[in-house]
This record gives sequence, C-alpha cells and structure tokens, in this order.
Amino acid sequence: MSVATHSARDISSIESILRNIGPYNEVPDEYNADEAAEALRTTTVLVIGAGGLGCEILKNLALTGFKKIHVIDMDTIDVSNLNRQFLFRPKDVGHSKAEVAARFIQERIGDEELKITPYFGKIQDKPLEYYRQFGVIVCGLDSIEARRWINATVVSLVDSELNNLIPMVDGGTEGFRGQSRVILPTLTSCYECTLDLLSPKTTYPVCTIANTPRLPEHCIEFASVIEWPKHFPGRKFDADDPESVQWMYETALARAKLFNIQGVTKQLTLGVVKNIIPAIASTNAIIAASCCNEAFKIVTNTNPILNNYMMYAGDESIFTYTYAHSRRPNCPVCGNMSKKVIAKNWWTLDRFIEEISGKQEIQMSSPSLTTAEKSLYLRNPPNLEQATRPNLAKKFNTLVRAGDEVVITDPNLPISLRLTVEFTGPEVEPDDVNSSLM
Amino acid sequence: MLIDKESRYDRQLRLWASTGQTNLENSHICLINATPTGSEILKNLVLPGIGEFTIIDNRRVTPQDLSGNFFLKRQDLNQVLADAVKANLSELNSEVCGHSINRSIISILSEESHQFWDQFNVVIVSDYVPQLELLKEILWNKKTPLLIVNTIGFYGSLNIIANEITVIETHDPSRLYDLRIDKPWPELQAFVNSIDLDSLDDTDHAHVPYIVIYIKALQTWKVDHNGSVPQNYHEKKLFRSYIEQLSRNINLEANFIEASNSIHRALQTTGIPISIQKLFEKVTAANESFDASTPIFWIFIKALKRFVEKNDNQLPLPGTLPDMASDTTSYLCLQTIYREKAWKDQELFTREVIKVLEEVGRSKEELNRDSITSFCKNSQMLYVTSGSKKLYSSSLIQELLNSSNDAENDPYNTLGIYFAILTYNLFIEKCNRSPTLKDLDLLEILFADNILNRSSVPSSVITTFRELLSHNTRHYHNINSLMGGIASQEVLKLATAQYTPLDNLFVFDGIRSVSEKWKI
Ligand SMILES: [Zn+2]
Repeated sequence: MSVATHSARDISSIESILRNIGPYNEVPDEYNADEAAEALRTTTVLVIGAGGLGCEILKNLALTGFKKIHVIDMDTIDVSNLNRQFLFRPKDVGHSKAEVAARFIQERIGDEELKITPYFGKIQDKPLEYYRQFGVIVCGLDSIEARRWINATVVSLVDSELNNLIPMVDGGTEGFRGQSRVILPTLTSCYECTLDLLSPKTTYPVCTIANTPRLPEHCIEFASVIEWPKHFPGRKFDADDPESVQWMYETALARAKLFNIQGVTKQLTLGVVKNIIPAIASTNAIIAASCCNEAFKIVTNTNPILNNYMMYAGDESIFTYTYAHSRRPNCPVCGNMSKKVIAKNWWTLDRFIEEISGKQEIQMSSPSLTTAEKSLYLRNPPNLEQATRPNLAKKFNTLVRAGDEVVITDPNLPISLRLTVEFTGPEVEPDDVNSSLM
Repeated sequence: MLIDKESRYDRQLRLWASTGQTNLENSHICLINATPTGSEILKNLVLPGIGEFTIIDNRRVTPQDLSGNFFLKRQDLNQVLADAVKANLSELNSEVCGHSINRSIISILSEESHQFWDQFNVVIVSDYVPQLELLKEILWNKKTPLLIVNTIGFYGSLNIIANEITVIETHDPSRLYDLRIDKPWPELQAFVNSIDLDSLDDTDHAHVPYIVIYIKALQTWKVDHNGSVPQNYHEKKLFRSYIEQLSRNINLEANFIEASNSIHRALQTTGIPISIQKLFEKVTAANESFDASTPIFWIFIKALKRFVEKNDNQLPLPGTLPDMASDTTSYLCLQTIYREKAWKDQELFTREVIKVLEEVGRSKEELNRDSITSFCKNSQMLYVTSGSKKLYSSSLIQELLNSSNDAENDPYNTLGIYFAILTYNLFIEKCNRSPTLKDLDLLEILFADNILNRSSVPSSVITTFRELLSHNTRHYHNINSLMGGIASQEVLKLATAQYTPLDNLFVFDGIRSVSEKWKI
C-alpha cells in the first residue's frame, strides 16, 4: 500500500451510522448499508452559493462521504468575507468564490474520488437540463430572487408521476438567527409558499428624506435616492466601488451637517446602501450543518428527515422551533388556485401594478400583465411595450371585469402568478391619507 | 496584503460593536480534547478574532480523527493532535495567538497548581474527559465558565457550568423606548409648554412630534380624572380620543395618525421593572459582603439602587428616541433634551458608583466611561443568573420520568438523549472504552443504578439508548459542526459580555431536528 492511499481520508467517522439500522429508521426492511454508502458516492449534489453558508456546506458534504459535488457562485471574494468564509485567505480577495472554495476543499480532503466542479456565474446561466443530474440541491444563498428562481425551476422539473423530484435543502442566516428547511417539490411547501414570512425591507417615505430628515439614515437615503441620480444620470450605484461609496458617505455627511443631524458614519452608509445583513461564522455553521444533516439523511435513508422547517435563534439563550409549514393552495409556483386580490375602482392599471408588485407575497420588480383575452402591459419586446403602454393610464376596471384572471410574469423569475380581481370602492379617488402625506 | 480590522470584521461589528470586539480580543479560551467538535468551536472563534486559544490534548492523529476533522491535513497523521489542530486553525487569522499543550488533562490536574487555570476566560470540554468533577470544582471556585459539549451520532448536548452570569448589553428585542411621558422633567415640560398647538399653521401642526402630543393629552386627561393616568382597557381607548381631539383632521395629519397608532408608548408607566427590584433586594441582602473582589456589575447595582432612591424611583434615562413624524428642528430639540438628561443622570450615577467603590476601599480608576454609559442605557434590561455545578438534579430525573409517562407511545424523548449521553460517558469512565450496541443492557444497568436509582427504565429512554449505540460515532461531522456552532455562539456571548447566554442545558436531536433546554 502506498503512502498516499494510506493517508487518504476514510469514512470511519460515519461507518456506524451507515452500518447499523437505528430504532427510528423509517424503512428498516428495505435499508441496506452498502446501498447507503453507494448512494453517498454516486449522488451528485448541487451547492448553490459558496459564501458563508456555502463554505460550511462544502466542508460538511466532503467530510460525510459525498464524492460528486457541483458548486455555483457568481461572486468574488471580498475582505469582509474573511471573518467567516474560512476557505478564503487574504491573497484570494478578488477571485471567484466557487473556484477558490472547490480547490481548497479538494486539496484539504485529498481524495482522488472526490470531485468538486465549480461554476463562476449565475444559476440562471444554466439550462433546465443541467439541473436534472442532481440528486439533491443544498442552497446557501443570500438573494431572495435566486432562491425563487431555483425553487420554481425544481418545481417545474417534477412531472405528474413525481419523476425528477429533486429534494432541495435551503438555509439562511441573519446575525444570531437563521432557518433551515427541506423542500420536496410539489409535496411540501416551497420557497414561494413562505414568501410572506420574510421581514419587509426598511423603507423611508420620500417626503421625510426630502423635507424633514431626522435620522442619519434619512441623510444617506437622500444621497442615494435623490443626489446620486442627479449627479450621475443613467449610472447605477455600485456599492463595491470604494470611490462611489466615499462619494455617498460625503454627500450624506454634508446633508447631515446642514440639518445638524449626528451619526452619519461610513459603516452606517455602507449598511444602508448595501442593505448589509450582520453575519458570523457560528450561525452559518449551525444552519449549514442542519442543512447537510438533512441532505445526508435524504440520500442515505438512515433516519427520518426534517418536516419541514426549523427556525433558530441564538441571541436570547438558544431557541429552535420546528414545524411543518403547509403549502399555500394559491402559491404561484406549486399551487393550482389563483389568488384573489381586491382592486379599488378608481385605480389605473399603473396604480394596480404599483400596489401589487410591492406586496410581501408577490415582490416583483418588473411585472408584465396579461389576461386570457389580451395583453394589459408587457415590458418586452420594445414594440409591444410601446403598444401596451397607453393602458397604464387607463382605469383598471375598464380593462378587466370583476372575476377575470390576470396572469403576471417577471423576466427575472420563472413564475407566472394568477390573480383573480375583484373591485371595490368609489369610481373617483377620495381624499385619503395616502394622497395628503406629502 | 494589509487588511484593516474594520473591513474584515464589519459583519460582526454590526452585532457587538467595538466594545464587544475589544472584550473578545482580550479573551483566552481553553479547549480540552481536540475533537472535530472542539476544532469547529475554535474555528468559529478564531475567525471573528478571539485573543488567544489553548488546546489541551495528549493524543496523536488517528485515521478516525482525520476522517471527521477538517482542521487536520493528511500529512498530520500520527503527529501530535493538539499541535496539528492549532497550526491549521492559526492559518485562519493572523491576529489570533494559538497554543497547544501536548499533555493529558490528568497530568495537568495533578501536576499544575490551580493558578494554571487563571489565564482562561472560558474553558471548553469536548466529549469525555476524566476527572470532570475536579475540573468543575476548580473552575467553579474561580468563577470561570465551563462549557461541556457532547456529540454522539445524531445527538448533541451542551452544558454551561457557571457560578454567575451577568449581562449588561442584552440586546433584548422586547425592550421599549423609555420616553417618560407620565413623568416629564422640567426641561421637557418647558419644551412642551412652548408649543401652542392652536397658534400653529396647518403644516406645523401636522409636524408636531407625538411626544409633545402625548404629554399634552395626558395632562388634560389627568385634570379630568383626579390626577390618575388611564388604567383599564376602556380608559385607554378613551384616551385615544383625547389624542384625536387635538388633531385638526385625524385622517390627514401624519403625526396624529402615528400618535394614535403608537399609543402604547404614551401609556407606559415609569418605574422599576420587577427584575431590577429583585437585584436591589439581593444587594440589600448581601450588603456586608461587598469588598475588593466584588464584580463591578454588583457595584453598579448598589449604586443604581442609591441613584433610584434619590431620583423619584426612576432609572437613569437611556436618552434614545424612536423616529417619529416631525419637522427636523423639533425632533432634534427633543433629541437634545433627552440626551442631556441622560448625560446628567450618568453623572449622578457615576458619583454613586464612586461612593460605593470608596466604601469598600477601591479606586475610581477602575471605572471607564463607556461601561457607565452602557450600563445606564441598559439598566431596564439587565440579565443575571446563578448556575449550578451539577450535571443533573433529582428534579431533572423526575421530569424525565414524567415525560416518559405522559407520552406512553411516543418513541422520542429529548431529555432521554441527555441522560443517554451522560450514561455513555459514565460507561467510558467505568470500562475504559466506548460502548457499542452489544453493551445496551450494561448501559441500561449503569443508568438505572447510578443515575436513576430505580430498576425500571422508561421504554422511550431505552429506544434513545439504542439509537445512541447504533450510531455511536463521535465524529459525525454534521452534528460536530452544528454543536460546534452552538457552543461557539455561547462563548461569543460570554466573551463579548453581550446577548443572553444559555441557562444552562441544551439538547439537540438531529433525527427530528428539534431542541430543548433545561435549567439544572
Ligand atoms: Zn409553493
């Protein structure tokens, strides 16, 4: 036996788990230790995200017998990642997270059989066919949009005989808190079903920012929402560009001085403009481990799997809450009922779009709307956008009737949301709170 | 490449700020047993920049260590385990100072004096350690927190053995703004009086901050109600109409709409929370025992008690305001009034602290301004708990028996997991090896004779034992990493002296993905 093979990592750490059938095993008669070991070796796992959760997930999978792993991440390594993303070193800053992470794990584990395939890009780059090869998907993402995309994609892969059902394990963290969940597409609730659980993003009314700023955040928002477009028309603010951030900070500071408001710092400026979420290694370790424990049980059948949601909070003692989140019958991804919405009679189509696209359970940034009979408003292609644009100013109740179904799509999401519209309220907009707040 | 700490630690500074970070960087953590779980704990502490860590272990790296520990390289096989883990962890952060001691805990306990342990702020034991009782005793007397983490198969447990834990910055999410609507001090009252609602034009009227609205409305209410504030639900509802009557148009004026929606802020009564009153009682009871070694926390509490007695039964004002509909000038005026009152209170409080220190012959040099400010800002929400050095109590056993009776048919028993782990370690102590499935009967007898003190073991506990022995690896990495994450989070709370730690037993079941906790 050569030295190299002798010192390769074995799977002695999980041997008893695979070999012995425990009392809680749900399929004791069919369970076979060799098959479980073989499943670990042959199942291809997709890891989405190679950041705080992703680094942990890759390590956990590699140390629990998985041999075929793909990892996708579009980001490059930033200095602020180094307090938790332990596969990266200062020399790696600026390089692809997926590539550096894959190389590090491969090297540290040192197993010929272990193959980690990195992809430095977006999940949306890959065709639907690409996703069929995976036995399980583990997500460690911070983007809601990417999660909705992959969720809708795995749901769409399932056919009526439940072929191509790819279990998806999803983790997320914020500070000392997080959650992990198992999604069995079309069988359990999906990511889209729970969109309303997300806490809404803090927003500040424009009139406060423009006229009566009181907090440092108001000054930063002023710099970002009002001053930036004025000084750099057509240029999108890049929070990763130090010069842009410096400009933003100085502009906010000048605004704060003007009003005598204290507390504008560079750290706060970054927090507001980048919507920074606090993150530590510990919480990522907990959530990633929970996700990988579920992935391990899914592939090996050694023990029952999480049904289907675990919340974790570590800021006040330690608290977990595990429950079965039920499917939403009108979920635009896994449901088959349309969702009822109430529109005001005085709303224009434009107003209707504005009202619904901001809703917690919808969250679409550039929606297109059609009914069974006609297109109400389309974003693309340009000629159709132009043709449907006049509808925006028309009253919504002249375009659809009560009980009509409106289908909403968004180019960023493989989702079509079905809404059944009902109308209420007077034909003319009353003087209400909203109209007078400015 | 030179990296500034502020960028590197940005995402954690948003949780515990520079005060927490400084505490963390001044901490020295000791790990006994370089297990995968222990290595994961240290990883999660080295990354955010703990000051120092020390690993105590006298074993050499085996293939099984290699199989489940990411912080061992293939070439570390047969090398000194503590050295190898230390070296691989040190790569993560050049700011952190790591040490390894290649000696058994038995030799350290028998050869070193107890002062050896003085260098550590927190000690962690991972899995089985001999002479745990002696170690507990030493650390308990030194008031050094001891964490005991166990992982076996899909199960994990964590004990925090700490004499006493006190937290000032709890970051309690239920915390309320202290606005003193019912007790305006002269400067605040003068500001409220300076605003004559009737003489304002419509724009200004719609920008009066609700603090002013509340104080005016409450004073009118008191005149109408013999000086008392709204008591019951009915009166509180009625009080809302007092606010709305001050508005020119309750559908239009954003400040009055907000005032009506946030009415709980107006009805908060100023006083001393029961939890703080209890601390005062403790101070009274322990009056004689204040001396040179009394922790500064208790000095602060004694000073706080005197402050409150001299200040109309009111705690120091935190001085922070929520945002509210208002014009800029009025808001900033209010902000200044609250902030100045807070500073004044801090000054008065500081005087009381100095007096207490002098009484016990201590110098005021040990005070720092930041800790006074932080204490005053958080004095409504202080956290104190006294721990236990026992691993279980008779009431915990009773709870186990009750839970087993209650759920006759439930094969799961979370507390049973903890007792199974304890018995597993007891087996190692008695038999000098780890138990396997063949030892189920023996394990049951050990549990019945040594812990339960009765012969019949509940069936759900036996099932738990069977699961534990079926999957009796201590290196299943997912549970290692999960418990490592949880234990490191507790160390972070203890080291930064922020957020509320576990009190004091936590058990995780990776089969159902559920956890429970108990206080021993
Ligand atoms: Zn769904």
